[in-house]
Amino acid sequence: MAKAKKGFNAKLYAVIVFFLVAAILASITVITFKNRYIGFDPEKVAVAYVESIVTRGDGYNAYKNALVSKNYKYGDYIREYYMYPVIYAECNYKPGDDTDTLKGYNDESYMSDATKNDDGTLAGAVIDRMYPYYVELIVKNNGWDNYDVIFKKYFRKLAEVRENTFGDKYLTDEIMFTALEANVASYGEELTGTDEVIDENTKLKISEKKLGLYEEKFGEDYRITCEVVKNTPCESLEGYKKSLNKEALETYKISVDEINEAVAVVIEIKANGEKIGSVSVNVVKIGGTWYVETFNTKTADLYNIAPVEIKNPYADLPRPKNK
Amino acid sequence: MADKSTAMKKYMKKSEIATFGIGLFGVALMTGWMPDYTATYFADFAFKGKGFDSGTMSDMISMVFLVAGIVGAVCELVIGYLVDNTRTKLGKVKPWIGFGVIPLAIISLLVFVAPNTNSQTLAIIWMFVIYSLYTAFSCAVESPSNCFGSLCSPNPSERSTAISIASFLRSVGQSGGMVVILVVGLIMKAAMGEQQYKNAEAQGLDLLISTAVCALGLILFVMIFFTNNQERVPFTQEKVSLKDAVKVVFTHKNLLMVSLTKLAGFGRGVYGTVSLYIAIYLLGSKDLKLALLLPMGIGTAVGTLLVNLVLKKFSTKKTFILFCFYGASSLSILFLVSKGIGFNDGLIIPFLILNFFCGLQHGNTNVTPNIMIADCVDEIEYKTGKRQEGLAYAGYGLFSKVASAFTKALGPWLLYTWSGYLASTDANVAYAEQADGTLDKILMIYTIIPAIFVVLQAVPIFFYDMVGEKKDMITKALIERREQNAAEEN
Repeated sequence: MAKAKKGFNAKLYAVIVFFLVAAILASITVITFKNRYIGFDPEKVAVAYVESIVTRGDGYNAYKNALVSKNYKYGDYIREYYMYPVIYAECNYKPGDDTDTLKGYNDESYMSDATKNDDGTLAGAVIDRMYPYYVELIVKNNGWDNYDVIFKKYFRKLAEVRENTFGDKYLTDEIMFTALEANVASYGEELTGTDEVIDENTKLKISEKKLGLYEEKFGEDYRITCEVVKNTPCESLEGYKKSLNKEALETYKISVDEINEAVAVVIEIKANGEKIGSVSVNVVKIGGTWYVETFNTKTADLYNIAPVEIKNPYADLPRPKNK
Repeated sequence: MADKSTAMKKYMKKSEIATFGIGLFGVALMTGWMPDYTATYFADFAFKGKGFDSGTMSDMISMVFLVAGIVGAVCELVIGYLVDNTRTKLGKVKPWIGFGVIPLAIISLLVFVAPNTNSQTLAIIWMFVIYSLYTAFSCAVESPSNCFGSLCSPNPSERSTAISIASFLRSVGQSGGMVVILVVGLIMKAAMGEQQYKNAEAQGLDLLISTAVCALGLILFVMIFFTNNQERVPFTQEKVSLKDAVKVVFTHKNLLMVSLTKLAGFGRGVYGTVSLYIAIYLLGSKDLKLALLLPMGIGTAVGTLLVNLVLKKFSTKKTFILFCFYGASSLSILFLVSKGIGFNDGLIIPFLILNFFCGLQHGNTNVTPNIMIADCVDEIEYKTGKRQEGLAYAGYGLFSKVASAFTKALGPWLLYTWSGYLASTDANVAYAEQADGTLDKILMIYTIIPAIFVVLQAVPIFFYDMVGEKKDMITKALIERREQNAAEEN
């Protein structure tokens, strides 16, 4: 009974099934990957870059699709070039130095009792105090195009504000990321507004409903879209390459010779179907992947669709008491 | 007459025991991976950036899993009934496994291919349909694969060994998906660069590739099983009506007792609800959650092999009860040691070591009931002349699913209501400070409460009697009957 007799060859069936299903799985995976991973399509890369800025005012995360993120994890680049110079300021840190042998402000010996005992209250106060400064930086620099200035000034100020709040020099990359990303998120919420959030378990209100600048300007059910209207391949690639900032490319660990294609993608931004702006994004191809070339891409106008106003200086905020 | 030596004759090739385990490993590689990662995919990646209402989506995702649970419970019985009415040259179980893996592999992958839609209604309908389909197909393969053990040999001792080894490989397979996603992540990082990998990960593409790998593993390992393993217990020819079949699940005493262990011990699994909070509040870091689960997982795998050794000395009944009391004792010791040391860094190492010993008991619940059900199938055949592996295992599966639903309800109630847990209301504080009484209760949810349910799950087994002389007599009688039937057919 149990043994298969003539007419059904189990081994042949197994081999056919294995290769057939492998082919189906591979096809589904490749098609889905190509559809969802934007790096293979210059237009999708350009749209993602612009969308991040337009929909959330987030020029910081937009760089995850830019040349800086080709060989670096974006966060690692920020650490190496902007955070460590502040954390290891006393050791004359240079990008690329081995931090294991250096003693920086992230050493526990710099911790005061205020840091050790903080339950998040003082850390939250630092974030609140930094926010007006972050807004000021974005407004005065017309957005994130000049990231070098923003990172340098922001982290220098953060070290100062934190020391003023905690009374010690302790500073880690985690503290720096937390503050910056919280400020970036708050800036986005000023544009989009926030919903009322109730904790399901405690039934307490976690956040209030606030109307965003976009909601005020375009209505509560506004819809912002970014559409590609033109895609122009670069005619003189060699000439274009010469226009790029080679010094910055070196810090990205990219050689200009690696670029094998360049495209200018024009994107139209619409609110509720009506055009409110447009931007030309330069995108370059290295290997099989496309990246936004940020040296010649100007996004300042995107931050003025609904301008965020500069706040009161952080120093006016009362210094919170530690528990 | 079938003498003792006939009953104890070895039927299986050594490679068959291994390939049975490889087959179960393959099935577990897929089914062990799916539920958690599907929830993550639906919640975080499937419709990212579409602007859907997050509250509605999160409620609907819970509903998807509730509906899938009901679909799974119904499918358990229907598939069990269909398996018992399957008569082919390949056997009754093998066709379900060998042919069912094809749609299962493809549907599993499609769960991670969300439609590109801006309609929230369509997105919700898709989640319900695709996950219910996955549940139905996984039932059609997993349920028969679990009951293959009772058909692989007429020799109960050989059968027990095969089930033990296969259960061990199945428990390894259940964690295999975690290794796959780790390796896939490393390969993607090397191929794409770290940031581009992060960008792809943000779209859930690492989950897609990992699922494809697990699905291919499912096909490969099940095909190895399919070509090498044979059903050696002949099926009976009588057709069974659905009504009679379902009756078997609820009226056969020994089978019901084994199934009731699941219901009586449903609270065993509530520890999973608080493992994150144990890591944060008692051990000091949420990163220790994986470190908590790892020793317990290793303990479970070791326990699965240990049960096989204990079964050589004791009956299934004694083994089950022994491990239950061991389990309750180890959990109680963990509670007392934790209270004794206090909730600080010094607790980490003892806690993790004791976690390994607590994990050993899970080997028992993975193996022994499966062997008991195989014995119950023999008993039912002896009494009724009908062999109903499909339904016997389906009944156990049904009780498991109901018990799992109770666990999922009890765990959050214990944590959020009974323990007095306070969620953080400060945007800058992830986890609020908890009162000492709450911390004690969290520890109890991890230790004492599961210990009580571990003892409770042993209670039905006191009424289980398919052991000793009765089991030997039935085994011999069945062999005799089959020999007689074979002689008559010839």
